[in-house]
Amino acid sequence: MPKINYKSNEFLVFLVIVAFVIVATASYPGFFSIPTLFDLLRNGIVIGIFAIGVLLVLISGGIDVSFTAVAVFALFTTTLTVKQLGLDLPWPLVFLVSVLIGMGLGLINAVFIAGFRLPTLIVTLGTLSALRGFLLTFVGSQLISNVPPSMQQFSRLVIVRGTNAQGFFYSLPWAFAFLVGVVVLTWFLLTRTLLGRNIFAIGGSLESARRIGINVRLTQVFVYAYVGGLAGLAGIIHASMARVANPFDLVGLELSVIAATVLGGARLSGGYGTITGTLLGVILIVMVNNSLILLGIPSTWQSVVIGALILLGTGLPSYQAKRAARKAG
Amino acid sequence: MNKSGKLLISVAAAAVCVAGIAGVQAAGKKFDITTIVKISGIQWFNRMDEGVKKFAADTGNNAVQVGPAKADAQLQVQLVEDTIARKANAIAIVPFSVAAVEPVLKKAMDQKIIVVSHEAASIQNADVDVEAFKNNEYGEHFMKALAKCMAEKGQYAVFVGSLTSESHNQWVDAAIAYQKAHYPNMELVGSKNETADDQQQAYAKTQELLRAYPNVRGFEGSASTDVAGIGLALEERGMADQTCVVGTSLPSIASQYLNTGAVDMISFWDPSLAGYAMNKLAVKLLDGEKITDGMDLGLKGYEHTSLVGKVVYGQAWVDVTKDNAKDYPF
Repeated sequence: MPKINYKSNEFLVFLVIVAFVIVATASYPGFFSIPTLFDLLRNGIVIGIFAIGVLLVLISGGIDVSFTAVAVFALFTTTLTVKQLGLDLPWPLVFLVSVLIGMGLGLINAVFIAGFRLPTLIVTLGTLSALRGFLLTFVGSQLISNVPPSMQQFSRLVIVRGTNAQGFFYSLPWAFAFLVGVVVLTWFLLTRTLLGRNIFAIGGSLESARRIGINVRLTQVFVYAYVGGLAGLAGIIHASMARVANPFDLVGLELSVIAATVLGGARLSGGYGTITGTLLGVILIVMVNNSLILLGIPSTWQSVVIGALILLGTGLPSYQAKRAARKAG
Repeated sequence: MNKSGKLLISVAAAAVCVAGIAGVQAAGKKFDITTIVKISGIQWFNRMDEGVKKFAADTGNNAVQVGPAKADAQLQVQLVEDTIARKANAIAIVPFSVAAVEPVLKKAMDQKIIVVSHEAASIQNADVDVEAFKNNEYGEHFMKALAKCMAEKGQYAVFVGSLTSESHNQWVDAAIAYQKAHYPNMELVGSKNETADDQQQAYAKTQELLRAYPNVRGFEGSASTDVAGIGLALEERGMADQTCVVGTSLPSIASQYLNTGAVDMISFWDPSLAGYAMNKLAVKLLDGEKITDGMDLGLKGYEHTSLVGKVVYGQAWVDVTKDNAKDYPF
């Protein structure tokens, strides 16, 4: 049993989540129920996979804002290709294509970041804009509402289905298993492999990592390819579940995802971040986003609430750290 | 280019002229009318182009449609400049930004070029503007359809793309006002739900509405993706048959939900008719006719137009259910 650090971001976010659930349940008793849980889990799948990718980049000392463009590029190109060629690929193959496209696009980031050693924010801002422009200009700007049958079939696969008092369904889609898979894989990678330790090391101090003989470039190439692959996966899951491939989708979600990750304690300066924290951050953001009608909060206030949470979530731990340092000093 | 090539072109040109003259013998004079749209190549304006081409074929006028390759106010202004330089008789324009085209349209009017606009009711420098419908009438028509589907009772919710979108809010406000005046057993729940023209948000908001108000059975969407998101959420819950969904959308976006019954009716206006109507009004003005209140443009939905200032309003919304969705392939 790991010891709980009561001063950590994770614990703080956890407390906020508990408080939020209590308030929501008090104002609407039906909030605390399985259908609500399933709705929130379903709406957290795509943002969750994105956040795991962002976590990896933040740990490695970089920042990636291009992943939404990578995702929409991968999902749209994949859907369009499968449709144009008239292939009846099973969904796992369709997903694989999208993941590979995502990885390929992630490698573009890697070339600039690991190859030319350019700042990550600048590079990914550039690829965000370039990829989206390229997609809309050369690939297509019309949404595909009749996605391939195998993708539609995927959207109907459910792990559990229940019926509420009125006889209507609520369900947890199989897509959720992908989030679980990504979490397990990334956890294993970060905590049980040398590569994972290297990612932490280059994020902590690039120079020190280099001096102890870590291949910084190779590690960075891996990070950006991995994030690209995750973005491709999240994108195709998004398109399958919505049963539409919309080239205007997803871009604009970057900030919410980065906010979730930072809320969960990942440091923008690199070298630190946990999967638990990231998932808690995702839960909080998704819950706030999906409970405003319930609480009667106008949607314009939503961004104010999220902004305030970020300031609180990042400000408080840093204040505590300073106080601890003063005490020690 | 060699000689025979030139000869071929002259012959072809002559043939086109003869054909053109033969076509307009009845009307007397052949006009040069250029329709300038916001952007070329998208389905909406491809459909409008069909209307313009049909007008050219029906009347023999030289009517063509052009548009910038990307949505950019400045590129559209350049196209207007080009059209003025070519000394066209009339310009029909769907402005990307009304403010951006006002100066150049004034220049056109100063040179006695007739200007007809569309989707620009507030425009200054145009002889006449044509709108498919009055926003409040369009909104009321949604409420009538929703009430009919819900047997005039029960809770309903409304969606807009953005709280700052003028047309979306006018549609929804008119619908709510009509409900309050005519259907006392219906009740609006929640405020206007904002979806940012994003299907995923319409989906999530629908889920949330169903949690907060388990008895909500009616939904009205405004952005084209709203009804798709609403329809998906209802379909997943197996509520398609018990609920009523109406809203502005396009068959290409909503037909899969129309087919399953998750969405009951969508409406839009047919750009090909709007394109045809603009050109027709331009010819009327060129022939020296006056635009009058109640005039019949001879097009579906434009039979009893009303004139307010210089804006001609039709009632040209098209209602699409699963039975006629395939007639509108855009």
